[in-house]
Parts: sequence; C-alpha cells; structure tokens
Amino acid sequence: MATTASAPAYAPVESYVGESGLWSWLTTVDHKRIGALYLFTALFFFLVGGVEAGLIRWQLAQPNGHVLSAEAYNQMFTMHGTTMIFLAIMPLSAAFFNYLIPLQIGARDVAFPRLNAFSYWVYLFGAIFMNASWFVGAAPNGGWFGYAPLTTYQFSPGLNIDFWVIGLQILGVSSLAAAFNFITTIINMRAPGMSLMRMPMFTWNAFVVQFLLVLAFPVITIALVFLQFDRFFGTQFYEIAAGADPLLWQHLFWVFGHPEVYILILPAFGLTSEIIPVFSRKPIFGYPVMVYATMLIAFLGFGVWAHHMFAVGMGPIGDTVFGVTTLLIAIPTGVKIFNWIFTMWGGSLKFTTAMLFAIALVGEFTIGGISGVMHASPPADLQQTDTYFIVAHFHYVLFGGSMMGIFGGIYFYFPKIIGRMLDEGLGKLHFWITFVGMNLTFFPMHFSGLYGMPRRIYQYEPNQGWDTFNMMSSVGTAILMLGTSVFIWNFFKSIKSGKIAGNDPWGGGTLEWLIPSPPPEYNFAQIPRVTSRYPAWDVKSPGLTAEVPHSHRGDGRIDVDVASKHTADGHPGAGHEPEQAAEAAPHIEIATGKSAKDLGIPMPNPTIKPMFCAGGMVIMFTGLLAYHTTTPRPALALAVILSGAMIMVVSLYAWVLTPLEDHH
Amino acid sequence: MPVPHRPRRLLAVALPFLAVALAACSNAEYPNSIFHRHTEFNRDVGHLFDILIYLGTAVFIFVETLLLYTIFRYRRRSESDRPEHVHGNTTLEILWTAIPAVILAFIAVPTVSTIFKTQAVATADALQVQVIGHQWWWEFRYPQYTMPGMNGKTDTLTTANELYLPLGRKVNFALTTNDVLHSFWIPQLGGKRDLITNHVNHLWFTPDSLPESALNGFCAEFCGTSHGNMHFKAFTVSKENFESWATHQMSPAAFGAVAMTPAPAPAAPADSTKPAAAVPVAAAPAPVAAPVTPVGFIGFPLDKIPKHVVPATPLPEGLAFNEQLKGDPERGRAFVSAGQGGCVGCHVIRGNPMMAGQVGPNLTHVGSRTTIAGGYYPNDAKHLALWIKNARMMKPGVTMPTLGKGQFDPVMKMTLPAGLTDEQIADIVAYLQALK
Repeated sequence: MATTASAPAYAPVESYVGESGLWSWLTTVDHKRIGALYLFTALFFFLVGGVEAGLIRWQLAQPNGHVLSAEAYNQMFTMHGTTMIFLAIMPLSAAFFNYLIPLQIGARDVAFPRLNAFSYWVYLFGAIFMNASWFVGAAPNGGWFGYAPLTTYQFSPGLNIDFWVIGLQILGVSSLAAAFNFITTIINMRAPGMSLMRMPMFTWNAFVVQFLLVLAFPVITIALVFLQFDRFFGTQFYEIAAGADPLLWQHLFWVFGHPEVYILILPAFGLTSEIIPVFSRKPIFGYPVMVYATMLIAFLGFGVWAHHMFAVGMGPIGDTVFGVTTLLIAIPTGVKIFNWIFTMWGGSLKFTTAMLFAIALVGEFTIGGISGVMHASPPADLQQTDTYFIVAHFHYVLFGGSMMGIFGGIYFYFPKIIGRMLDEGLGKLHFWITFVGMNLTFFPMHFSGLYGMPRRIYQYEPNQGWDTFNMMSSVGTAILMLGTSVFIWNFFKSIKSGKIAGNDPWGGGTLEWLIPSPPPEYNFAQIPRVTSRYPAWDVKSPGLTAEVPHSHRGDGRIDVDVASKHTADGHPGAGHEPEQAAEAAPHIEIATGKSAKDLGIPMPNPTIKPMFCAGGMVIMFTGLLAYHTTTPRPALALAVILSGAMIMVVSLYAWVLTPLEDHH
Repeated sequence: MPVPHRPRRLLAVALPFLAVALAACSNAEYPNSIFHRHTEFNRDVGHLFDILIYLGTAVFIFVETLLLYTIFRYRRRSESDRPEHVHGNTTLEILWTAIPAVILAFIAVPTVSTIFKTQAVATADALQVQVIGHQWWWEFRYPQYTMPGMNGKTDTLTTANELYLPLGRKVNFALTTNDVLHSFWIPQLGGKRDLITNHVNHLWFTPDSLPESALNGFCAEFCGTSHGNMHFKAFTVSKENFESWATHQMSPAAFGAVAMTPAPAPAAPADSTKPAAAVPVAAAPAPVAAPVTPVGFIGFPLDKIPKHVVPATPLPEGLAFNEQLKGDPERGRAFVSAGQGGCVGCHVIRGNPMMAGQVGPNLTHVGSRTTIAGGYYPNDAKHLALWIKNARMMKPGVTMPTLGKGQFDPVMKMTLPAGLTDEQIADIVAYLQALK
C-alpha cells in the first residue's frame, strides 16, 4: 500500500516509503527508518538527561540545597553524564549517520542493513537496561568516568555500578557494530564518480568518527571487562589491597574518553559543514583542509588522553608531552573555525533556524576551545581541574558545540526526513531561548570554578562567593528547559501539520536534495553519477560552481566502471540496471509513488531477527545482576543468562541463514 | 532576523569574560579564589593564567568579531544573490594554521618551564606533612615532629581535618590514601594533587605573602557519598606560633589540667573564646595523663576565623539534644576508657592507653580544633553531641556508627534499642572538649 492516504491535495504524489504500522517498525532494515528510530529514541533520552540536569541545578540553586540527598545527587550527575553522552548525543549522531550517509553517497541502503537494525535494538535495550536501575533504586553513582577503586566491589557493593558496567558494554556493542557497518558502507557503496574527495563534509566527518569508535571502544571495553571480572568473579585488576594501581583504569578510560569527545563533536561539525555552505550559497571553504583537519583532530585525539590526569602526578615529562600535544589539537580545530567563517565570507547568508544554530556552534565552540587551551597547560590545569571551570568548558563544547550542531541538523534535515518543514518562527524562538539559556547556564560556571567551587559536590556552603553564579546557572537551566519545550512542541506540531517540504526546501548541494522528501524506500530510482562535490548544484544552477582543480582525476575510469562493474552486482547499493546507471547523470527525481517492487529494485526484506538477537544479548547480560544482589542467586543468574544466550544464538542462526533479499 | 541585536550579543558574551581578568584583582568577595597569590606556586600559575587569559581573550574577541562582522556584512539582501563560488585560499589557510601555532608556542614555553619548576623535588629544609585521605575526612601527620609513645614506639604528631602551616617556610606534602582516590586542594595556596592508592604524590609551596589566616581546603576528586562534605581547614600561622602549636600537639591528652590557666600568648591571644566551655574548673587531677598546662599558641583564635571558613551546615531534621545537660569530663573519660560506646575501637587519644583504635581521626587534642566531621560542622558542644548521637544522620555515608539510644540508623535501617543516653553523651562531649 502507498502512504498517500492522508496526503493533502496539493501534494500530488508522495514517495513510497514502505509499509506502516508497528510491525513494520519492529522489523525494518531501512536505514532511514532506523535513523528515525534513533532520532526519536535519542531525543527522548535527551529529555531524560535534561530532567536530570534540571534536578541537579535545582539542588544547587542555593547553598545547602536539600532537593536531593547526597546519594541521589551522585546518582543524578552520574546518570546525567552517562545519559547525555551514550544515550543522547552519540545516538543523535547515529541518527544522522543512518539517515544521511547512504543518501549523501548515493546508495540505497547501508552495507549491512540487518546489522544496522541490530545496532539500534541493542542501543534501545541497553538504554532501557541502564535506566531500569532507577526503578530498583540503584542508579549508577560512580561518575560517568567510574574511577577505580571507588567502583570496585569493596567501595561500591550495590547494584549501581553493576548496571553501569554492564550497560556500557551493551551500548559499546551497538556502537561498534554500527561503526563497522558505516565504514563498509562508505568505502564500498559510494555512487559512481563520488571519489573520497567529493564526499560531502558530513559523510567525511562521519567516516572519521567511525574509525574513532572502532579504535576507542575496545579500550573502554577492556577496562569494563576488567572491572566486571573484579566485581563478579574475584579478579584483582583494580583491587587495591592486592597492590593494584588505580591509574590503570584512568589510562584505559581516557584512552577511550578523549577520542569519545571527538566522537561527540565531529558529527556536529559535519552537520555545520553542510548547513553553512547551503545558507551562504557558497561551497565549503578549503574542502581538503577541512578533511585533513578532521583527520588530524581524530589522530591527535588519541595522543592527548592524559590531559585529564594532570593532577595524578605523572611527573614533569608526562605532563609536558600531554600538555603540548593537547595544545597542538587547537590548530586543526582553529582551521575549522576559520574555514567556516570564510565559507560565509563573501556569501549570501540566510538566517534560517538551522543556520542560526550552525553559527552559534562556531561562536560557542570557540569559547569551549579557548578554555580548553587554558587547561592544556598542566600547572594552570591544577587550579582548574575538577572545578566548575571544567564543567563550563565541556558544556560549551558539548552543548555549545555538539547540541547546537545537532539542533541545526534537525532543523536542516527534518524536511527531508518527515517531508514537512519545522516551523521557522517557533524554531527561531527555540534558538534564541536556547542561546540565552545556554550562556546563562554555563558562562557563570567559569567563575564559580575559578572562585574555588569543586565539581560533583551535592551541597555547598554559603559565604563562599558562589551563590550568585549558581543561581544564574540554575535560572539558565530553567530557560534551557523552556527552549527545549518550544522545540518539542514545534517537532510534534510540524510532523502533523508542517509545510510540505518538497525535494529541496533549502537549495542544498548534495545528493539527498535531488530526491523526494521523504525519500522512497529505495532512495534513488537511478543511482546518480557524481562529477563534483555539489552534484545538486550542478543540476539546479549549472555553471555556477567554479571548476575545482584536480577534482576530475579518475573520472574516466569511473565511466568505464559505471557501465561494467556494477552490472552483475545485485546489491541494493550499487547501480543495478546498467543501461540506466550509465545515463544517470545527477538529476532531480520526482516522487512517483512507486515501490521498489514496481521498479524492480531489490531491497532487503524486513526481519524481526536482529531485534530478537539484540534482546537475547541484553537478557543474557541482565542475568549477571542476579548473581550479584545482596543475596546472590546463582541458579537464577544462570537460568537468565542461558535463556538470553539461547534466544540470541537461535535468532542469530535464523538471521544468518535467511538471505538478505528475495532471489529473482 | 534581529540583526541589529548582534553587537549586543557580542558584548553580553565578551564582558563577563573580560571580567574574569579584572576579578583577579578583587578577591575579597571570593575567599576560595585561585587568584590569591599567597605562594610561589600560585604566583607561577597566576603568571601562566595571565598569559592564557589575555591571549584567550584576544583570540576570543578576534574570532567572534570576525564571525559577527561576517554574518552582518554578508547577510542576504536579495533572493537573487548568487555569490561567487570560492573553494579556498592557500595563503589564508596557511596563515590561520601558522598564527595559532605561534600563539600556542607563547603558551607552551612558559608552561613547560613552570611544569619543571613546580614539580622539582622540594628542598630538604621543607616542613614535611603527610596527608592521608579517608572517606570522608583528612588525616595530617608531621613526621618531623615525633615523641615517645606507648610500649617504646614513636608517635608522630597527628591531627585531623585541620592543617597548621608556618608562614614563610616551604611545606612539602606527601599525599596518600588507604581507600579511594581523593584530591588535596587549598585553592588559595596552590593547585590540586590527587591522592592515589598505592602511590605517594608530592606537592609543595611556601605560604609567604599572607598574614595569619584561616583557609578552606577541599577534596576535589569524587570519592563517594560524602565527597561534597570532605573539607578541611588550613591555618597559616607565624613560625613561633606554629612551634608552640606543635609542641602542644605533641603533648599527651591534656585532660585534667586543661585550660585552667590560659597563659597569654605572645603572638596571638590564647584560645579563651572556645565555645561551650563545659569544662569543670575544679576537676579532679588528671588520673591518666601527666598534667600539661597549655602554654602559648595552641589553636587558631576562633574570633579571627572569617565567616567563610566556619561550617554553616544545617542540622538534619529530627535530631535533637538536650542542651541543658552539662556533662562531667572525668565521668566521660572513665566511661569511654571502660570501652563503653565503642570509642576505643576506632580512635586514638594519646595519653589514654585505652584509646588506641586506628580507624577514625586522632582525638588527642580534639578540643583545640574548630571543626568536626571533615570540616562539616563547628566543634561545639551541640554539634559534637549530635555527632556522637547519630553521625550517620549528620553526614551521609560515614563509617562512624549511630550511637544514641532510640536513634534511627540509616545504614542498618533500624532504630537502636540500646545505646548512649543523652547524659552519657554529655559526659563524653565534656571529656572531648576538655582535650584542648
């Protein structure tokens, strides 16, 4: 069936986006639907993390606050960090990876559509698992960094840390599976002519982030497995009585933790690099340098982890090395800032909501970057670390950077995803409230930190000179929550009754703007042949894009490929029909209402197996909890673990033995 | 687009940022500010911070001005605008790679020299202080100040949550912890240094540019439930007063002859303003310890302690103590020495051979301290009594058990059928307060 039933009369044909109904969502392997699932789930957890932040700021609004007990506060800030990082910002980025990567590279799906569904379900179940801890009164309470030995059984015997250790491992599976999937997709499934140096900036940033994920997550997994084995099976990796060195945890954690910062910020950089050119009507300034800067940031990001540890006493040599490498990261980051500004320079800037958020990212991230340089200097950092100055810094990076970029991305791509526009008036209201609220919340934290307020304290005394700044931060948080309410209202209102978007509401330059909104299940009826970085601009305003030197290298080779290479390949990502593909110069595709079947495009079949496989895995992990309550029940634990493992293995076999798509 | 508002937006963001630098000059309202340059450590860090804040502010103003100018200057004036497609400019891109590199060099060079200067080995003449972190209180030991103890052992001057430092002398801290990680921080005197299990860390500085002062110290590394309540107080005093304080602290528990004749100290008034003087003047002679008469400076004068160093923690609801009760210190001494209340299991009172527990704070001169419970409550009769009565209600997560009869123990989740009566607690309080 087509989904045109409720379409208004003035939208002649809507694209065929596939079945509707709950079952179709549970079984979907369509990267766009999975992207949408990520988007909705992550926005929900963004609200959860926001409520946690609200409670934290309510508690700290005044000295000696008593909204939360010490224990509840510790759980709250641990879960605020964990939720925002692992359950909100990363999956919000994943929503864009899922939705955009295939569209931007001209593919019909990701390389492993069912693995993609598996990633989402693992994320969802992992997020539920982590938050289930609230309902048994044992939310994680060791900080998002979980420093040993505080998190060892000796000092945290409750279930709290168990939920955290297991939950993070579950979420890690999701991230790793997705990362391999996207790397394979980007390397193998680009449309003919889309050389690496013609890939859209977002895809480039996403590409680099996947490598960060693949390299960083195994490290935290090792750290977590050590801790888990300590807690459950009596190993002594972090057992101080046995002479363990607690710095082992810190090094492992931050070898993951610092690249994680770039995992959180680079997708937002990518979105900004898409938004700014479109609303400046200019291509990105210095495309190759932007690409190299991204790679350099990612590369250097693995060599700076110990700047989180300047106070642990590494000695002058260690401090020097990590101080200097950290300073170096400022260079490629600065290059990005200037390249964005010079993309706008000489352009014709239109201040849509998406553009406002993108500009705000440039401005706010700069503040976070400057304060970052301030604590890259180890002696100065000794007076800054573990104070609110750091809290201010990373919220300028993560809220002023990541979230601003992601909000911009949502305003920019909502029309593509939903087919309707977000309301621009409400959007601008959302932007300005958020902008004011953000600065009011986080700027005063610079002061409370420099005036001596430590982090992670659930109460502070009066007369310390901190009252005013804390009250400002708390008022700012209330304003932020107001802004987010406007956004949520706008979001749901526009899904129902937003203006119809059409293929290309903004005048975009990348492939996704050539196809209908929302895109049909197969994305491209014909796989386009790409000859520049902004193929959509070539179509819509030919002659405008100046020649880029060296950008045509290899095109001759590709012409041959288009005709021959993909012919025999029945994979949905490649040009399937040779005679079509050969002629498929970029063109605007009109919504036809035809399904993939009508067009003879093979698409992967929906399947419930990835969800069962993910569910079985999470049940298996959950069984461990029974092993570790105050009254251990090994029989129950074993029963749960084995039944989870059985569900997982059976559905995995069923999955592997079922072909991806029908033969024909 | 409210374009005309943009310059205001710049101001709104830039002004507070600049104010950081200005605020460095006015510390009065910000007692725990890192901008107090009372030690060579803070002067070195301050010098670095100046470079960072001035360069940072300059970069901030440059980038934001450029950004705001760009978005103002190139706003879309007509929908038919078709700007030229510029793909890049090699010269510009090299420039904005090179200039930040030069700016960073200006930061890196003084940074590296400061690293090596502040992390050099402390000179041999420094006062050595051993800092031991506990969940959630601080133990301070002065290994250069030792005295003969029981059974031929050597005792070291040991105190808790209150750190006395001589002005003008370098102090070298050796930082350790027996449980989780903590971080030692007196913002007015220097940067943090973490206490890492199975490691010994060092930090040194010389408090040389401040008068006799009372300062706040904090734990800066998350260490569990009461991390937010793990404070301590640092007192910088003249060298003479420090020696006087140390001599007094090295003496055994002064109970019995305490504070009978508070001799006027040369440098500072004697501790006659100590609150809640429930000390019976006509007490019996000290039955255990040799009578010691505190002479000179034995503690920082309470009336000179500024408000921000006095704990202002509100009392938990539902806890009360009959403040009319006046305890008898000798009765209290006899009571705890007989093992009643369990104090002997965890606390040391040097001079009282029964009190030799090693778990909790050393109480030898607890009466001369200004705070209890990790700097969390003032050390007066009322707070001390409530603390003994129900410490677990007073401070979340503490190891100290709930002792009062009929009190609810939040850890055991039960009301104690037996325990100390208010009268017994009053006696113990009187004893502890007598331990000047």
